[in-house]
Parts: sequence; C-alpha cells; structure tokens
Amino acid sequence: MEALQRVYPFSAIVGQEKLKKALILNAINPSIGGVLIRGEKGTAKSTAVRALAALLPEIRVIAGCPFSCDPDNPSEWCERCKSLNPPLPVISRRIPVVTLPLNATEDRVVGSIDFEKAIRSGERHFHPGVLARAHRGILYIDEVNLLDDYIADLILDAAASGVNRVEREGISFSHPARFILVGTMNPEEGDIRPQLLDRFGLCVEVSGEEDLERRVELMVRREEFDNDPEGFSKRFESDNQSIAWSILAARELLPKVKIADHLRKFISDLSVENNVAGHRADIVMEQAAKALAAFNRRLHVTIQDIKEVAPMVLIHRRREAAPPPPPPPHQPNNEKDSEQNENPPNPPEAQSQNQPPPDVPQDPSRGEEKEPEPQAMGGEESEQRENPPEKEESTDYRAVLERVFEIGETFKVKKLSAPKDRILRRGSGRRSRTRTAQKQGRYVRSSIRGDGADVALDATLRAAAPYQLRRRSWGSTSGDLAVHLTTEDVRHKIRERRIGNFLLFLVDASGSMGAQGRMTATKGAIMSLLLDAYQKRDRVAMVTFRRNEAEVKLPPTSSVELAARLLRDLPVGGRTPLSAGLIKAYEVLRTVLLRDPTARPILIIITDGKANVSVGSKKPVEEALLVASRIAMDERIYPVVVDTEKQGIVQFGLARKLADIMQAPYFRVEDLKAESLVQIIKEVTR
Amino acid sequence: MTCERLYPFVAIVGQEKMKRALIFNIINPTLSGVLIRGEKGTGKSTAVRALAHILPKIQVVKDCPFNLEKEDPQGLCAECPRKECSSVVLSGGEPEKIWREIRVVELPVGATEDRVVGTLDLEHALKKGEKRVEPGLLAAAHRGILYVDEVNLLDDHVVDVLLDSAAMGVNTIEREGVSFSHPARFTLVGTMNPEEGELRPQLLDRFGLCVHVEGLRDVESRVTVMERRVAFDEDPEGFCKLWEEESRALVERIEKARRLYPEVVVDRNLLFEIASYCLDVGVDGHRADIIMLKTAKTIAAFEGRKEVVKKDIEEAAELVLPHRIRRQPFMDVVEDVRMVRSA
Repeated sequence: MEALQRVYPFSAIVGQEKLKKALILNAINPSIGGVLIRGEKGTAKSTAVRALAALLPEIRVIAGCPFSCDPDNPSEWCERCKSLNPPLPVISRRIPVVTLPLNATEDRVVGSIDFEKAIRSGERHFHPGVLARAHRGILYIDEVNLLDDYIADLILDAAASGVNRVEREGISFSHPARFILVGTMNPEEGDIRPQLLDRFGLCVEVSGEEDLERRVELMVRREEFDNDPEGFSKRFESDNQSIAWSILAARELLPKVKIADHLRKFISDLSVENNVAGHRADIVMEQAAKALAAFNRRLHVTIQDIKEVAPMVLIHRRREAAPPPPPPPHQPNNEKDSEQNENPPNPPEAQSQNQPPPDVPQDPSRGEEKEPEPQAMGGEESEQRENPPEKEESTDYRAVLERVFEIGETFKVKKLSAPKDRILRRGSGRRSRTRTAQKQGRYVRSSIRGDGADVALDATLRAAAPYQLRRRSWGSTSGDLAVHLTTEDVRHKIRERRIGNFLLFLVDASGSMGAQGRMTATKGAIMSLLLDAYQKRDRVAMVTFRRNEAEVKLPPTSSVELAARLLRDLPVGGRTPLSAGLIKAYEVLRTVLLRDPTARPILIIITDGKANVSVGSKKPVEEALLVASRIAMDERIYPVVVDTEKQGIVQFGLARKLADIMQAPYFRVEDLKAESLVQIIKEVTR
Repeated sequence: MTCERLYPFVAIVGQEKMKRALIFNIINPTLSGVLIRGEKGTGKSTAVRALAHILPKIQVVKDCPFNLEKEDPQGLCAECPRKECSSVVLSGGEPEKIWREIRVVELPVGATEDRVVGTLDLEHALKKGEKRVEPGLLAAAHRGILYVDEVNLLDDHVVDVLLDSAAMGVNTIEREGVSFSHPARFTLVGTMNPEEGELRPQLLDRFGLCVHVEGLRDVESRVTVMERRVAFDEDPEGFCKLWEEESRALVERIEKARRLYPEVVVDRNLLFEIASYCLDVGVDGHRADIIMLKTAKTIAAFEGRKEVVKKDIEEAAELVLPHRIRRQPFMDVVEDVRMVRSA
C-alpha cells in the first residue's frame, strides 16, 4: 500500500539507543514481553517501531492460514491447519505489524462470526480479528494510555495466555495469539493502568537530543527522507541489512545462551532491592539479558548484560520509579498511608478504576472509620470550640489583611471518583467510566438489551446471519433486502466513555488560611487537584468565601486553565463565612443538577472549618454544620473535605467534624498525595 | 477558480502572519497544518474558507473516495466500495484521472467518531448482505485540508482519533465488522478561541505552525474591513471579480514556490542556528526542529529565493515555536518567542 512504503529506515534514526536496543531485544526474544515507550512528543517513538518491523526477517507460515500458523510447530496449529493433509504449502512473509486503533470495537479485536459467509451459505465461519493477525508479529498500540479499558482487558487476557478464546454469537473458537506488545504513551496525557503497565516486559523513557550536532543531523535526515523517501532508504539499506542479519544470528544463538547461577541470584537480588511486585521482573530480566548476550554473540550472560537491561526492566516496576514525587515531607503520614492501603479489603484506588464497576460505593470507607453521633456535634462540642476560632481569627485578621500567596508544590493526587451505578450519562472526560445514553462515545460492544434507538447493525447482522438460509426457504417477506431480520436479531450498541466529573472547589480564602504559609500549601493541593482534573477532562467550578460573603469565582467550565489562573491570583484575608460558602456552592450545584439530572458532582470543600460569620442568627460553626448536613442529604452530591488545619498541639478538628456530619471522605492536605505505583499494582494483581 | 460566494483570500485586510502561515502550508503540505488562535471576529474562519480561491491543483483518480493519485490494484482498490472504477482497475485497466483543486474538508464540532473514521455501509449491508466500507471524513481529507473550527471544543475521543491518523498518515478502521486502512495525510487547520479552554499539548504539537490573531488596532484598516465586507455582501460576484487578478497572481506565486522548494538549500551554520534556537527556548522532542527547517525553506521559496537566510529562520521561529515551548499544562501559550530566547 502506498502509505506503507514510506517507512523511515531503522538505521537512520539518530540517537535513541536505548529505545532501539529494547526493540531489538524483543525481536530476538519475544518472550521478553514487549516494550512500553514513554516519552515526550516528537522523539521518534512511532517511527522506530514501524521501522523495526520493516527490517525484521521474514517468517515461514502455512499458506492461506489466517492465523499465520508456523509450519515447524504442528502442536500449535489452528483447527483448520490440523484438519488439512500434509504436506502443507508454506510461504515466507514479513512479520505482521498490526496497529490497534484507539477506536477499535470488541468484535474486530477478538474476531467474530463472518456474516457475509453466514448469509450466503448459512455456515458459521470465524472472521479473525486483530489478535489473530498479530500472532507471531507485533501488536502496536499508539497512545496506549488512551485505550478503552474494556478493550485493554481483552488484549491483556490474550497476551497473558498466548491464546485468544472466543465464545460469542454461537461461535466457540480459540487460536494462538502470541505477539510482541509495543505501546507508546506520552505521560502528559495521563497515566496507564498498573496491570497494563506490568504487562510490558521492558519500558524505556525517551527524550529529545540535547546535542546540537545530532539535532542538526536529525533535521537534515528527516528533510532528505521527506523529499526523496526511496533514495534515502536506499542509502541506509546496507546498514539495515546488517542489523537484520545480527538479529537473525542472535535468534539462532539464543537457545544456547546460558546463565550462571550466581547471576540468577544477582537478578533476584536486584528485584528485591528495588521492591518490585511479583516475579515477572526476574523472568523478564533473565530473558532480556540472554537476548543481549546473544546479540553480542556470546554464549554466556555476563554481569554487564544484566546491568544494561536492568533499568529497562525495573523502571516501571520499581517503587521509586513511579512518577517521581517530591520527597514526602511528612514521613509518618505516608507510612501510615501505605499500611492502610496494603491491608483493607476494599482499597478505593484499586476498585475505582481497574475492575468492572461494582454497584456499591466504596470510597466512604475512609470517612466512616470514625463516625460520631451527629447530634453530639451541634451540641456541647461546638459550644466548646466556638470561642477559640474567633480568638485566633482576630489575631490573624490583623496580621494578614489581604495577601496573594504563591502556589505551593504540586504533587500527584489520589483518585477521587464518584461511586459507579447503572445510570446512563451525558458528557465527556476521563474520570469515571459510565455507560452513555447519547449516541456518542466509543462503541465498544453490543448487547441484546436496549431501547432500539442505537442499533448495532454489524452485530445485528451477525446475529441474523446463521438463520438466513432457513428464513429464505420459508419465504418470509423482506422487500428488496438481502437479509431477513426479525426483532430478536436486533442488537444495541453499548457505548462507553469516561465522563469527566463535575468538580466544585469550595475554597476558604479567609484570613486564618493565611497563617503559617498554609495558603501556599493549600494552593499547591488545589493546583494538584486541578492538574488531575485536567488529565481526566473534568469540568470545574470554584466558589470562594471570605470576609462576609461567598462568591462564585469561576462558573462551571471545562477550562481547567481558567481555574488555575484564578487560583494563582486568589487573595486571602478576612473572616470565615463558611455557611455562606456552603450555601453558594449548593446553589451552583443545584443549577448543574437541573441541567443534567444524572450528573454526580464532587464537592471539594477546602477549609479549616473555623467558621466565624453566620448568615442567620445561629452561631457560625453550628450554622455551617447544619447547612452541611442539609447538603449531605442530597444524595446526588458527593462531598469531600480537605482539611487545611496545621498539625499541631492545639487542633480544633472542625473540618473533621464537617466531614463526619456530611459522611464525606476526609483528607488532610498531605493525605492527598498518591501512593507509589507499586502498591497499587500489588493491590490489583493480587 | 470558482467564486461560490466566498470572500476572496487576497481581500482580507491585515492579518499578514495568519495569511502567510496558511500560504506556507499550501506550498508545503508536510508542514502539517496551522493552528489559528484568537478572539472572536478576527477573520479566522473567513481566511480558512477563503483558501478555496487560491488552492493549487492535484491529480486524482476521478471520483475516488480516497483521493488517490493513481490506482492501487494491490491495496485499496481491491476493497474500494466504488465498483465502477475498482472493477476497471482490477481488470488491469486505468481509471480516468482528473486535475482538480485540493479540497478543504470541514470537520464539524459535533461529528461522531464513525463519520470521522468511516464505518460499515449500512444500506449495502442490509440490501446485499455484504460488508462494505463507507469512508469517512479522514478519507475525504486525504491530500487536502482538514479544517476544524473551534478545535478546542472537539469531543475527546474524536481528538484521539485525529491524533492517531495525523501522526501516522494512515487511518485504520477496526470496528463494526470492518477492518480497513487507507492513507490519510492531511493538512490540519484549526481555529480556536483560547478563552474557551486550551488544547491538550499533544494535539497542539501536531499543528506545524501556530499564529495568534487579534483585531486590528488602527482606525483606517478597521474602516477598510467594513467597506470591503459591505461591498462583498452587496455583490459577491462583482467583488470577487475585482480581486480576481490579485488572486491569480497569488496562485501563480504559490505554484512557483512549490516548484522551487526542492531546490532550496540551507547553509550548515543556519541549521545550527535552528537547533540552538529550539534548545534555547526549550521544546519537547524534535518535531520543532524539523518543522522549523521546512518552514524556513518554504519561506525562502515563497520569496523566490533558492537559499535560506537568517531572516527566514526568525520568521519560522515565530510560527513554529510559540505553542511548543515546554510549559506546565496551565501556563499560557507564549506569544513572543524572541523574548523567551533572550530571557
């Protein structure tokens, strides 16, 4: 095809040695299990993968076999090849590179019934999908972090077992599906699911060249290639050949490569040292080291080989390698946090994204740890704490009249997401997965249930196909249509999309927040939440309260940037009209809910809870708690309380109370930081 | 050249940077597009639509749904839904070819994914019981211009699809029972109003050039804008005639530049200038370098020169770098590149 001839030669790629090495190792030894290429834009990620495929030696396949069966390995043949009489015709062809587009539907990934054949002959034939075509080749997924979760699960399943089993539409079929999984991703676009991450044998980080000379070389080559692809490719033909030849030679050598016992031990020491989860790292490291030894034309693995491959194996599995968070300032908190996450049966992170949506809300587990009697709150306790806040406030008020604080350090935040249910929603974004009712969103699979508005024609045809001969013989009327459809054939599209949630930030901008640099840290936390919101395509709004009133700083918008800009210039100072803030926030939420009754907005209350101005005649704290409990009664709103109170000897714990009365998850600013990736992997792969 | 009631490109007052960026993309399609950022009512969409007046011609197989230059019996033609011409090709014949202007295909903001990438042909499947591809907008845009108005409001998963094909030059369909891929190399032209939200950096990077437009500041030009607009609205055809000569001159200049482009050479010192420019301001990856080189060459060709001079590189930097300078997701897109460099 026209487009495929324009592949940039592998040997002409300037720099990116690690990336090239990782790809070559996989070509030598497919059991390494693929490469994940992480890196900034424009660093030859896709180019290298395509180029490698073009250079790999041809494989022998049984002619006409849709699954590329290997003539030399009869035990793995598909049903069709087994049923034929040997000798079977054999052809050589390039190894397949199958690109999985992000919008692939289930039926094309795993394969399905061939409705064309079924309609004509009434026989059920299997129409192989992407996984069949990728067998013995490369399955390439660009922007793998944007792939639909459901499709990703299907691929993982096949990659793990090496077999694709299809049980659908009256077809029961399985075929071998072993492929090198190559994915590219740009971490800016959000991270990848931990199970998927662990599945990639190697991981390399790529970045642009810093060296001027090489940058120029790269520019010149690219321009030459674009102007004259054929001529350019010819120039690098012999270099390509020699790489191809050494890959072939290394493959021959590979089964004979030995690894000494003490080196095996070295490998497992490395894994232990780096705190990796499971044993895949050890296995991959050994395989990769063997491939490297073979590539260097040696029969024994050396310690140097292991040292060279170790970073690629460990970088995405190692505890420290998770998106490098700034060293946590509050060590004790973090430790407590990690313990918490290893033990509870219901870790919120693991469930919120990685498993089929459960119907029970799980997040409140945190908030319910210590649920006090709501009545106790309004009574004696608020009495007790009524005065101290005012005292502190008055001192603060003088010291901090009105200031704009810098945005503190940002960090990766924990996942906050609303509990899942079966309601169909509108919207787009990436935070919570939901079924969507609109005819938009990614069509992933079909179902027999539905209201008839969104018919999945392909699935309907597949369902009807096997009965066509019989129906035709009955002579049922269907006009000039070639296909006889009945109502029970009709299938409906299931579309899925991540909907971004609606996040309302209710920010306390009173004077008490200005004390002891608290606002700086708080702004850092809000900024982190906003960054997270950006990656998940949430809609946001911001309400602030200070002095005597609350103000809608940012009406609901999908421009997270605007929110960030506002945050930068947000002044603090004045008293704390918490109840006014809560009321204003509720007003905003109500209009959002009116517009879209299925929305499940998240209300993030960021305050120290030291209310000292009331709207009515009640005492400020009492009033705020009352308003909060009213808001909590609206089950559509999902509140989260972030406590900004400084840890110290004297703590009022008012925000904690607020959280309790709203039955909301409670975090301190420091708590928001996400745990390292490894722990999450542990949770989900257990 | 057809008029079709479109405002002539050459009659647009001011906005030189935007006009030049668009022209450069027509001269050299490998610049991979331009993003026009700016407030409402600054002639963004008018300029893109007006391109129709000055587009060069390409050779295509007549009525080919994939805009192929010549037949492709081994690949696409075998699966082409248009049997009239594929049957000719497959039996060894040659289909009719025509020369026509390259197309501007508009991607509406509400477009659904299946219309964009292509899907199963419903009618054919029901009537004949056969699978057939119904090509989407990406096929129509091959070798042409894909225009997305309000690109920042585009649905997320449609953006993903765009990224995918823009990066590879190939659109792969694996959905609804059809497996298919066809070339999709297009010049991506987007307009957006930054007030309504920013683009994701990943998509930003796919646009070769980026220009920022503002309303004109001096009274005289504003008056000219009004005058011309009124004249156009009253008598579009007469207005077009008035500008026809100038349009034709521009088309000739563009075609000359297209021919000249392969001969343009760049001094090695200037290559270093480009690379160090990119390093100084801090960009991700190498796309900036490559596009900057191409842009500088295109500028030289447009000016009728066979060698790139320092001035071309300055101009190229202003078009190529603003949206690529490395930044946190919430920082503003830089407007003055030179300041960043000298800082």
